[in-house]
Amino acid sequence: MGLEAPYVTGYLSEHFAEGDYGTLDGYIARGGYEAAKRALTQLTPTQVVDEVKASGLQGRGGAGFPTGQKWSFMPAGRDKPKYLVCNADESEPGSFKDRLLMERAPHLMLEGILIGAFGTGAEKTFVYVRGEYAESARRVQRAIDQATARGLFGANILGTGFRHDVMLMRGAGAYICGEETGLLESLEGKKGQPRKKPPFPAQYGAFGMPTTVNNVETFCHVPHILRRGAAWFKGIGTDKSPGNTIFGVSGHVARPGLYELPLGTKLDTILFEHAGGVPGGRKVKGVIPGGMSMPILPAGMLDVPMANEFLRERKTMLGTGGIMVMDETTCMVRVGCVISYFFRDESCGQCTQCREGTGWMHKVLNRIERGAGNPDDVDLLLDVAGKMEGTTICAFSDAAAWPIQGLLRHFRADFDAHVKLGRCPFPESFAL
Amino acid sequence: MARITIDDQSYDVADGRTVLQALDDLGLLMNGVDVPHYCWHPKLSIDGSCRLCQVEIEGFPKLQIACNTPVKDGMVIRTQNERVKTAREGVMELLLVNHPLDCPICDQAGECKLQDYAYEYGAAHARTREPRRPAKKRVELGPTIVFDQERCILCRRCVRFCREVPGTGELMVQGRGDQSVIETAPGEPLANDYSMNVADICPVGALTTKDFRFKIRVWFLEDVPGVCTGCANGCNVHLGVANNRVYRYVPRRNDAVNETWMCDEGRLSYKRIGGEDRLREPQLRGADGRLVAASFDAAIEEAAARIRRAIDASGPGVVVALASPHATNEDLFTLRRLLEVLGSSSAAGVAVSNGRSDSLLIKAEKAANATGARALGFGAPGPVLDRIRGGGARVLIALGHDVLDPAFGASEELFRSLDTLILLDTHHSALERVAHVVLPARVAAEKLGTLTNFAGRVQKVEPAVEPAHLAYSEGEALLRLARAIGLTLFGGPASEARSEPEASGGIRWEPRSISRAIGAAVPAFAGVDIDSVGAEGLPLRGTGP
Repeated sequence: MGLEAPYVTGYLSEHFAEGDYGTLDGYIARGGYEAAKRALTQLTPTQVVDEVKASGLQGRGGAGFPTGQKWSFMPAGRDKPKYLVCNADESEPGSFKDRLLMERAPHLMLEGILIGAFGTGAEKTFVYVRGEYAESARRVQRAIDQATARGLFGANILGTGFRHDVMLMRGAGAYICGEETGLLESLEGKKGQPRKKPPFPAQYGAFGMPTTVNNVETFCHVPHILRRGAAWFKGIGTDKSPGNTIFGVSGHVARPGLYELPLGTKLDTILFEHAGGVPGGRKVKGVIPGGMSMPILPAGMLDVPMANEFLRERKTMLGTGGIMVMDETTCMVRVGCVISYFFRDESCGQCTQCREGTGWMHKVLNRIERGAGNPDDVDLLLDVAGKMEGTTICAFSDAAAWPIQGLLRHFRADFDAHVKLGRCPFPESFAL
Repeated sequence: MARITIDDQSYDVADGRTVLQALDDLGLLMNGVDVPHYCWHPKLSIDGSCRLCQVEIEGFPKLQIACNTPVKDGMVIRTQNERVKTAREGVMELLLVNHPLDCPICDQAGECKLQDYAYEYGAAHARTREPRRPAKKRVELGPTIVFDQERCILCRRCVRFCREVPGTGELMVQGRGDQSVIETAPGEPLANDYSMNVADICPVGALTTKDFRFKIRVWFLEDVPGVCTGCANGCNVHLGVANNRVYRYVPRRNDAVNETWMCDEGRLSYKRIGGEDRLREPQLRGADGRLVAASFDAAIEEAAARIRRAIDASGPGVVVALASPHATNEDLFTLRRLLEVLGSSSAAGVAVSNGRSDSLLIKAEKAANATGARALGFGAPGPVLDRIRGGGARVLIALGHDVLDPAFGASEELFRSLDTLILLDTHHSALERVAHVVLPARVAAEKLGTLTNFAGRVQKVEPAVEPAHLAYSEGEALLRLARAIGLTLFGGPASEARSEPEASGGIRWEPRSISRAIGAAVPAFAGVDIDSVGAEGLPLRGTGP
């Protein structure tokens, strides 16, 4: 495997480099499943949810929704089976933290799932693994088998009478299946197309049953919160964004990789202290802070603390924490072409604005890059992006519009230069 | 019950409905409150994908789609402000990014929702410089439907229709994003009993029926409300009429009968109206045993003379009749009156052909008014046929030829034993070979009257076209026959046989008065007549809601 251990570790990743941490015995030897044991034997489900609520944990899959609150949306009672889904589709370009979590710490994720299942009263968890993540799927399945054989899943877990099963499903390669309701459709064997809301998954989720969907990393925080307490967790990161997260740094940096750092760590600290800065003495031009769907930040904003409350002020978001660095040789029109191609290709095609808008933006951006742009094309792009924003079944359309808006906000000069020169002023060697 | 406010007007609507459904329930949708929409259809599941029906709802920061937002008591909705209009204009522009602007050669032009809404809600100018996506033209999805991929706006009504109504699910969306196309699986064509409905619900010119496409521009068509006569269901239709010709049936919404659908067989049954096999002229059997053309008056006179002779010789009991399950209630009541006046009322029945049925709309009885015939006292044809077999009947007045259906075991030979067979019919049949007097009649699309569907719902038909030849409605022909015999069928206030100028033969056929007379004579029809049934019909008394 190409990636070695991350260069900075914390509570999530401290044992990543130890090969046996991925085995059940190795995990248990380091205190694994103790938190789940305590939850199942000493706490009520409500106490579990309250503890996670009190920790302030926010989902690490991109939207940053408070996890405890999400769990509390699950209906009480047992008239219908309830499900959890672990979203391991990690399809956001620039994001690769969940892959390492699954490969190096599958039992940490499973313990988080077990605690979440007890808290929400779910009887089954579907782990939906990105199709390309064959190794992750293999290791997670092995971990499920080991834990089930040891009585940590299945009937009567730890003699408490609680039953929970985990089932691994593999995706087939569509970005949209990382969207929670697109995932549910795919899980059910249907075409991956997000569902209209209402109803929301907590009422009508997988196979029509109440369902909560959480990201891999989100589950991985939970055993630590239960073990060390909400107050401990709140003491890490910022007031509004507690905890560590695993940043994935890629692009024009000397040491691309995963870095577990507290939320609120400044972007320039991550880039220059941890990732080694831009190689070859070149300067940073722009940084996408949270996966490809998040608007880009220009070099002048690198002092931003990496937490949503600060990123929002700069009209972007933490997303999945996938940081993509581009140096001064980068053509931002070309970046727009690449991004818009991706979203055009991955749009599920249900909603008018998304289906037609992604294609239109891609065509216009390509035209500008070819040197056939018109002076009013930038305004046209902004207008189309505006029409795509906030008006569709899922957030994909926003995710396709935001990065283009970001490029136009901070790098309009690149676009104007293309139109003026009638060609791309950057060397062709660029690649994102 | 929830009280909601739409554009400053208050309405009480049922709980559990969405805003668009509530508007539809109130009869206001695009009929007082304009919330344009493409993917939503009142009889299909909610899709929520076209995003055109966005409205402003107080308390929601973003615009909401009216089709999928449940009403709540106190909800305040705005459908016409600038924000909503801007959003609509945006959706319209995006829908046209890949739609060809070739309305002049598109068969849907004139009844195209994309054309209508672009005009009503869209911007005046296109800003696209990019080529439209390449797509296939004239794809045969199956035996009835042709698909133009270029024109499709992917509202997916057709996909949902096939899954949800016939349940056959032939259609799907292949691919994703702006490469999405409606497709069938290889070797599985769009072929079900209701396939042509997809052309009706397609808001654009993407799905057209092989039968109708490029036959005529729709703005030349007059839509005449009527009823399909293919079976006992009585699906409500619009007859598309131009140049005294019916070009198509399209279903007309009636939630109590056919919702918004009709079957393909019924839809194509309009062809029988102007069919080559229409009976076009009166005929008389000559001394040499051959049928020869005659004038209407001569044929009526001959029929009257034969009936008089038979009654004079053997009494009124020798006249029997078979009613047509295709004729109107008014026609059949006139037959009933004739038999009553002749004194032969017990000797009548109705033969109804049966065929394939399903659990949706297709009914086994392949006639539009079998239930009406029974309600008017015409029972099974067996006793009539037995009277003929036994020699007790010498004259048969036959309306239509359904009795030739092998199920009734009545051959041409049986009718050959009669002294007189008077046939009133719309189409040629083998019964002519044994008839002595043949009178062409009108089909439902050519006359005013009512038909009673299988559930007892009485529905109005009105003349959409004139027959290409002289033909009377069966009722009118019988009235003339009675007059020629010297009988008066209707007296008192419902009198139809009052003195008229000689030019019209002293007869005035007034289906409206007959219709009211039925109500006076048959309790089930009380208050249920041509003028009272309205556009959606009324149930016979004692037959449900």
